[in-house]
Amino acid sequence: MINDKLVHFLIQNYDDILRAPLSGQLKDVYSLYVSGDYEGCAYDLGDGRKNLLQFEQFWNDLRDIVLVTPKSIQFEQNLLVAERPEKIVFLDVFSLKILYNKFHPLYYASKLPCSSSDVDTSSLAAAETDFKGSHLLGRLLNVLNWDENVSNQGLPREQLSNRLQTLLREKPSSFQLAKERARHTTKVIEYIPICSDYLHASLLSSSVYIVNNKIVSLQWSKISACQESHSGFIECIQSKIHFIPNIKPQTDISLGDCSYLDTCHKLNTCRYVHYLQYIPSCLQEQADHSTESHNEEIESNVPIPFYTLGNCSAHSIKKALPAQWIRCDVRKFDFKILGKFSVVIADPAWNIHMNLPYGTCNDIELLGLPLHELQDEGIIFLWVTGRAIELGKESLDNWGYKVINEVSWIKTNQLGRTIVTGRTGHWLNHSKEHLLVGLKGNPKWINKHIDIDLIVSMTRETSRKPDELYGIAERMAGTHARKLEIFGRDHNTRPGWFTIGNQLTANCIYEMDVERKYQEFMKEKSKNGGTNSSSKKIDKKSNSKFQQQQQQRQQQQYWNMNNNKYYMENKQNTMDKKQSSFESKQPQQQFQTLNNLYFAQ
Amino acid sequence: MAFQDSAYDQDRSMHNNSHLQGSNQENTEMKSKHVSFKPSRDFHTNDYSNNYIHGNSLPQQHVTNIENRVDGYPKLQKLFQAKAKQINQFATTPFGCKIGIDSIVPTLNHWIQNENLTFDVVMIGCLTENQFIYPILTQLPLDKLISKPGFLFIWANSQKINELTKLLNNEIWAKKFRRSEELVFVPIDKKSPFYPGLDQDDETLMEKMQWHCWMCITGTVRRSTDGHLIHCNVDTDLSIETEDTTNGAVPSHLYRIAENFSTATRRLHIIPARTGYETPVRVRPGWVIVSPDVMLDNFSPKRYKEEIANLGSNIPLKNEIELLRPRSPVQKAQ
Repeated sequence: MINDKLVHFLIQNYDDILRAPLSGQLKDVYSLYVSGDYEGCAYDLGDGRKNLLQFEQFWNDLRDIVLVTPKSIQFEQNLLVAERPEKIVFLDVFSLKILYNKFHPLYYASKLPCSSSDVDTSSLAAAETDFKGSHLLGRLLNVLNWDENVSNQGLPREQLSNRLQTLLREKPSSFQLAKERARHTTKVIEYIPICSDYLHASLLSSSVYIVNNKIVSLQWSKISACQESHSGFIECIQSKIHFIPNIKPQTDISLGDCSYLDTCHKLNTCRYVHYLQYIPSCLQEQADHSTESHNEEIESNVPIPFYTLGNCSAHSIKKALPAQWIRCDVRKFDFKILGKFSVVIADPAWNIHMNLPYGTCNDIELLGLPLHELQDEGIIFLWVTGRAIELGKESLDNWGYKVINEVSWIKTNQLGRTIVTGRTGHWLNHSKEHLLVGLKGNPKWINKHIDIDLIVSMTRETSRKPDELYGIAERMAGTHARKLEIFGRDHNTRPGWFTIGNQLTANCIYEMDVERKYQEFMKEKSKNGGTNSSSKKIDKKSNSKFQQQQQQRQQQQYWNMNNNKYYMENKQNTMDKKQSSFESKQPQQQFQTLNNLYFAQ
Repeated sequence: MAFQDSAYDQDRSMHNNSHLQGSNQENTEMKSKHVSFKPSRDFHTNDYSNNYIHGNSLPQQHVTNIENRVDGYPKLQKLFQAKAKQINQFATTPFGCKIGIDSIVPTLNHWIQNENLTFDVVMIGCLTENQFIYPILTQLPLDKLISKPGFLFIWANSQKINELTKLLNNEIWAKKFRRSEELVFVPIDKKSPFYPGLDQDDETLMEKMQWHCWMCITGTVRRSTDGHLIHCNVDTDLSIETEDTTNGAVPSHLYRIAENFSTATRRLHIIPARTGYETPVRVRPGWVIVSPDVMLDNFSPKRYKEEIANLGSNIPLKNEIELLRPRSPVQKAQ
């Protein structure tokens, strides 16, 4: 028999029991219990006299309670005195209350404020009665259909586990602070939500004039008529993006939407439905305006963020470098010229042949790139597709990186839908692309967990990657960090970033040391390349900037010629029909042997 | 010129309208007269990563076809319906085999050796942490369990898939099971039961919001000629949690991808993890689910073989589906 009065006593006085001066000493707790004339501290002898509870009995009662509700009372483990511990170290009031409620239903339910940390005993009691009332099957089903809100207030065990989970989920303050700082310092990019109401699109489609695949104007009369039957229509037009079907004579609505939508090449003959984006200029202006004012506010706040971890020490006065780029054949470029970077982005043109178990020519060349020279510690983002996922991971490993995250780029179309048609993959359609994130060393300056490992953005030209990544990288490493993009094209150049790749136009270098090293590299190259009129010109020294640029351009031309030839050869796989007069023989031979290797395979 | 004309049109119609409508309407019109409904000329795209930083919403919530993936494609909608119907029609009883993690390998070995059971589609793992996938992969004679051609799906968090890479890339493995696709499942928000919360370690640079699957093919199937075995390009390699996704260890999306891809009726799902009470393992028609926490324990090899014998080991071709499904372009004879 449980001494419910004792349970009550423990609940009421748990704080006093555990704290000094009692500190949970069993003997003292017993004394308090007996001397305080609490209910249940004495038992009737039958003749009107009451006998005080003996300590032995008190101890037995406590043990009974523990037997019924394990861990509700925890004693100090004292190995020397095996028979009986001397101290109570913890009282689980929740469990004790539940136990007490068994004797006095809803006693604590009515008195307890239902704060989040307390057990909601009423729902518990309800759940208990439910349990008893139904059959096994019903119970099983009920158990599964409990939604989260209910299960949060469920059994104490579960509550504890929930609390533990929330504790474990708690982020270090560095994450939280970095995130908050990012919110206050990242410039806002204009955001206009997309309307998800199909009706609006069809209403609009009947009231627009479309000329030459452009929306020219709206018929106001129809719109206001629509507003009458569909309240909120005009408000929606004024606040959201709408996509209006561009119905043409050849359009067959029953066919549904075109897989290519706005990128369709046969816009004037395609029978599928295409869409035009409609944003009223008032909305555009409003968005422009609010973004601008928000950004001004952000800019005025920038100078001194109190949280400085991961920021450059001269954060507020240092100006970000303008865009820099070098046109070069990455495979033959000396990476030492560039120095070290905090962030590297690489989007190699993986050349994947499905029937080969391993990478083709390009892949082995890629693997051979001395990317390990670019960073002492830092982050690399490597775009991979299909089979290159494995190859990419392997390469990162070789270059001294650990694959720390994998980002998925969810590709969307004009309408913000994922790509589900068009046989974009071999077995399944591909709606996403993979970006490996590699980490080298243990950089202290990285701001973690600001972004999530997903990018949702529209597809653009073939193989053009989303610009969102630049923002993510900048938030991670800071806007002043040196950042490099390999295999970049003209549209990839941007302030704060260094871009290299063979499809860039000319060069643009601002960092003096890079410029110097690059000149030296080119000089070296031209020396090896033998005597040539253009290479001679480079040797001439001039102080005038204009002339320098001129030189650079010529150099560039020479370099381009070289590259083009190289690529041509590469493409046609012609071995050595023509020896490039500019090239040193050694690399060519190397390349040939490589090439031969592939053919052997 | 055309533009000016139409602007005039708009003005005029607004004017006319105000005559026709009551005074109440006029009021709202007066307001809206100040704002221009002229279409803006530039194409606008949103940066959802930036939008997330400014505290608004997660990028994946802005995908507009989450609830109906084939929105706008009536042909695909029909295909999905037809396939779902046929798959349902040719499905075995939902089977569960409730056994402890340690007895999974012996039990499956028994099925292989004594009961002669093989499966065409085998899925391993679910969307929880603490899965014992590695021991399963190394101890189980998977090549005997999976018939040829057969399909293997391994679901885990991306970190785990990464760890498995070394095993799956070694020569013996890579020869038997060709890695074909990498699938991804994305929870809709951080409250989702599929949010990989505890998987977050302080090491990672970005918050994780996805689960990965390694899809392998064993034996030979050809996309263009094996339409009776596989239906390619029906599903995509990405699933986003939908509103009707029930709480559990395995969202139905994972099963659906496998069902839509392979026409086989013998499907096995091994969950080498304790998923517990919060993430129940439900049963699914057409699947044998082996897990310590599966809700049913009704599997008997004899009954299963009988059912398969009645159903056939592959869902038969159906004209309606053949007409609708995406196929490889027919190559011209040379």
